[in-house]
Amino acid sequence: MQIKEDKQGEILIVTVSEHLDTSTSSIFESRLLGMVDRGERKIVVDCGTLEYVNSAGLKVFLLAAKRLEPLGGKLVLCALAPSVLMIFEMIGFTRIMKIVSTLDEAIRVLKGDASPA
Amino acid sequence: MHEGSITIRLPADPKEIERLNRIVRQFGDLHEVPGRTLYAVNLALDELVTNVILHGYEDRTDQEVKAHLTVQEGVITAEVEDGGRAFNPLDAPTPDLNAALDERELGGLGIHLVRSLMDRVEYRREGEKNVLTVRKRIR
Repeated sequence: MQIKEDKQGEILIVTVSEHLDTSTSSIFESRLLGMVDRGERKIVVDCGTLEYVNSAGLKVFLLAAKRLEPLGGKLVLCALAPSVLMIFEMIGFTRIMKIVSTLDEAIRVLKGDASPA
Repeated sequence: MHEGSITIRLPADPKEIERLNRIVRQFGDLHEVPGRTLYAVNLALDELVTNVILHGYEDRTDQEVKAHLTVQEGVITAEVEDGGRAFNPLDAPTPDLNAALDERELGGLGIHLVRSLMDRVEYRREGEKNVLTVRKRIR
């Protein structure tokens, strides 16, 4: 797993790559929650290079979304591979998290100027 | 698709999961299991073995988990065997998928995935062992 951060104005783009599993999820958890704790409120997780996620990794997304919500923040996920998206659907996360197909769209959502569907 | 089977013995250590996943994917590729089926079985086996390693033993030292994978007659079967305390993960309550974000529980995600990904999931206690069997039709 690799994690990259890129700040664009108020928006923090986090790219998580390869495998998010039992051995790597605790690192991702402390990084992502650390970003929230240091004051980031608009976070995109770009999953375009994420190949595999298990329940340990899914839990990190849930934790971050739960922590951001009462702070008035927002987590948007983008570019999930079909197999990864299937897992998010299966676990019901597509109902409680904003998941979009491209990074541009994620940025538009967080800027608040997403055009109505 | 080719028929065959493999038995994988792992020390009960979370670091071993990555190796398990690699072996499962290689086995699947060699036996020409289609990608979607292989992904599902890989994930289900990961969840089951992780569960045993993290929660099955009072003391993990010198303990192991055995995973047996079979491709036969168009069905892939995975069996996970451990000598930990009697524990049926299928007794875990199903997470409420309709709950709002602030009410979503963190637990039960793994076993829910296993149930959703596989066609059949069975638990049995065999002497001092827990045996969990999952099956999926290959398509």
